[in-house]
Amino acid sequence: MVTLDKVLNRGLLQKPSDATAEDSLERSESNYKPLHSFVLSKDRQYQQQFADIYFLRLTKIKPAVEEIASAAWEGTVIGGEAAKRVDRVLDVRQGEPSWVTGTVYMDMHHKPNILEDVAKDRWISASSSVEHYFAEDGTDSVTLEDDSGRIHLVGDALKSFFMVTGCIVAVLGTENANGEFDVIDVKFADLPPQPERWALSKAAPNGTKIETKSSKIKDEDVEMADSPSSKNGSKIAIVSGLEFSGVDTSYSMELNLLLEYLLGEALDSTTQEELSHISRLIIAGNSIGPESKTVADTSDKTSHKKYGYDSRAYDPIPSQLLDEFLSELLPTMPITLLPGVLDPANTSYPQQPIHAAMFPKSKRYVALPGALEAGWLDTVTNPWDGELEGWKVLGTGGQNLDDVFKYVDSDDRLGMMEAMCRWRCSAPTAPDTLWTYPFQEDEPFVLKECPHLYFVGCQPKFGTKVIEGLDGQMVRLITVPSFSATRELVLVDSETLDVSRIKITTT
Amino acid sequence: MDVCKKYLAENILSEDKVVTYRLLSRALHVHVNTAKQMLYDFYKSQNDRRPGAVHATYLVYGVQKGAGISRSWKSSADGDVEMASSLPEVDPIDDPVSTYTLSLVQEDRLEAALADFESVSSIHVYSVGPNPVKDFSLLADVAQEVFGLRNDDDPKTSATIRNRRVVRKERPADVAPPARQDLQKPALPKSAPAAAAAKVKEEIKPTKPLDSEKTAAPSSQAKNPTPALKRGGSSGIMHAFSKAKVKKAETSQPATLSGDEVQQALSDDGEDDDDEDLPLPKPRGIFGRKTKKEVDEELREMMEKDDDEDEKVDSAEEEAEEVEEPMEDAPEPEQPPVKEEPAEVVTTSGDGRRRGKRRIMRKKQIMDDQGYLVTIQEPGWESFSEDEAPPVAKAKPVVSAAASSAPAAKAKKSGPKGSQGSQGSQGSIMSFFSKK
Repeated sequence: MVTLDKVLNRGLLQKPSDATAEDSLERSESNYKPLHSFVLSKDRQYQQQFADIYFLRLTKIKPAVEEIASAAWEGTVIGGEAAKRVDRVLDVRQGEPSWVTGTVYMDMHHKPNILEDVAKDRWISASSSVEHYFAEDGTDSVTLEDDSGRIHLVGDALKSFFMVTGCIVAVLGTENANGEFDVIDVKFADLPPQPERWALSKAAPNGTKIETKSSKIKDEDVEMADSPSSKNGSKIAIVSGLEFSGVDTSYSMELNLLLEYLLGEALDSTTQEELSHISRLIIAGNSIGPESKTVADTSDKTSHKKYGYDSRAYDPIPSQLLDEFLSELLPTMPITLLPGVLDPANTSYPQQPIHAAMFPKSKRYVALPGALEAGWLDTVTNPWDGELEGWKVLGTGGQNLDDVFKYVDSDDRLGMMEAMCRWRCSAPTAPDTLWTYPFQEDEPFVLKECPHLYFVGCQPKFGTKVIEGLDGQMVRLITVPSFSATRELVLVDSETLDVSRIKITTT
Repeated sequence: MDVCKKYLAENILSEDKVVTYRLLSRALHVHVNTAKQMLYDFYKSQNDRRPGAVHATYLVYGVQKGAGISRSWKSSADGDVEMASSLPEVDPIDDPVSTYTLSLVQEDRLEAALADFESVSSIHVYSVGPNPVKDFSLLADVAQEVFGLRNDDDPKTSATIRNRRVVRKERPADVAPPARQDLQKPALPKSAPAAAAAKVKEEIKPTKPLDSEKTAAPSSQAKNPTPALKRGGSSGIMHAFSKAKVKKAETSQPATLSGDEVQQALSDDGEDDDDEDLPLPKPRGIFGRKTKKEVDEELREMMEKDDDEDEKVDSAEEEAEEVEEPMEDAPEPEQPPVKEEPAEVVTTSGDGRRRGKRRIMRKKQIMDDQGYLVTIQEPGWESFSEDEAPPVAKAKPVVSAAASSAPAAKAKKSGPKGSQGSQGSQGSIMSFFSKK
């Protein structure tokens, strides 16, 4: 309970004293090493089939799953018979207890189906708008497949796990008389090995290294500033769904307050000192609002034919507002910008960086093409991974989680994030329902290393939890809410990975 | 201090404007925290004198009751019947998430809002205005104004929290913004004669209340006429083109009329840049304040500019073919209508009018056998009719236009001018004014 008397005539609620020698604060350093795991080559082809993705994923994850499954099920006796490992799905024999590893495929009633589209002669691909793929009546079926064949999975055990297309699991059970596999237990690959902190970038031991000009030029990552704040630890701000809009201005004031907060102009000097520890802003998708349908009026399409740029079809204001926002903030803070589903980037996963040409004012801060150093404004892919303050970080703009969400009758988005980590796949539903580039050489969504911090942007509400792996891996999961809906900002402590959130309200 | 009081009194009491701490800080070049205290001081002194004279909004930062520590992940797991993992359930560490609230509160709700807080770590006046703020988007508009007042050189206002590691590149592509400046620059000398014309007109009709032009006239007139004259005189070669110029203006009239607003908007910006230091006439935000329409117009004009340039390239190619070119060494191969000059057949010159045909190049778009659209140019004849001799003829339409309405004349000229911008076509319009 705070009363007015308590706050009056203190701090900033008093006359300006002439002797206010305001010290200029110094922003904490951001130790940042982005990886380029999801960057596609510029001359990519789209001719190839998607099957390679499933093959690569299975090859990569299967050994880990089998290891876990062997450890758990070796020597398990079911109905008087010891369960055997079976190499291929087709080798499962009726009546013999066994366990087998493969890729899950969910056949669901509301799931978009390419065969259906072809049959109905529907060639214009619009992303599916259904809220859920599953049918309430239980007509959905789960199958397990590998390169040999597929088998239907049944059994109540399945209900206690999240199951989506594309995750790699081992199942224990027997084939029943109907040719279905009656599942008793399921195993995942679980969390991959976790690298030590500061595996890629060099740690910043407190003030032991003297900053020199030459080291600064040579290697920005190694460069160390003996800032007094490093003991307290800096903060990383994560926000998503800013959704700058030319039409909907209902939260423009909140966006302004967010800017002033991050700039450190709002609030008093004590708080400003705290805010100076925010070393980096990550924007996790949807910086630009949904396009207004009124702008693109298609009624007189035929009468007025125009080549090239048609100003009526495109509203430039949102990107201008975003540019303005970024250019205000960049002089004081480095920014990592992930695209989201609404942003001007490619639709299919992995989304490639938003082009710097979108930001006429801010592009001075973007690294030159081909530069080794990350830009001060780093427009990155979605998903994106890298090392922040020594922690391995994985972040997405939300499409992967949103798509998994459609498979599962649950609201536990953190649980789904956890499941993705345990499946070792950050986008299991790609390429089935999540549009994806048809990878051939590599399947980048497989988690080779366990991140310390995994955030997903553009979510309906804030949530966070820590999960632990079998070998003591710890992952901090965060669902970052859309700013346009919740007016919330997430701060992550760079030392402890503790999370705090900031709500911005106007009353 | 007096400066601050004066500024606040002028803006809030006289001009009914809302002033935020950021605006005050930018306008007076003081630290934001000092600006916050200034606002509070002003608010207090005014309301002590007369309660309700001015109204404030406050920015409160702290921990709200009940929100301070939330186990958000637990609540979000509500209704989660199936547990997600078969692993030994790790005893979830109690994971308190500290939640801070940054709240913008109106003065009348301040007490109630404060009661909701468990602790307040910071509070200050955000804005002071003559009326209670009903719609916070008004404050957002003020914030847009602040964008326009940005001054990177001022250490007090450039950044409260500095970051000396900032990496900023001067890339070759950065020539683009200056190029844009160039595009605007011609607007300045151009607006000068236009304003001058307006002046002339005002002498005839002194009652016409054209505020914008009145204010524009003295400043631009003062510096510009001399160079304008000089340019007009030196570029005698431009006389040859000026007729064609007028014609071009005529043909592109519908488009240029629509470009009017844009052009004015641009020159406004140019002026604002000049007197940035003056706090009073606020430069509008570069965008956000502009209506959709204006932006669209601007874009359309950009499109037209592109087209013009295409034409120029085309006609430059044409010129290569033209044999009897009167000014081959002229530095403006991009002048499109030059080719009209030689091929002109005057048939009648009676009754003070010239009629005849002249050769022009027509653009024609055809589909070739492979299905591609190909634009070809073919020579053709166009009949024309003009008043009197060519030199006078070029002047007349302009004069009449100027007489009818000064802004329209400005618009007419500004269209092609803005589009041809830095290509040195400036001279022709100058020659017109020098003639007078």
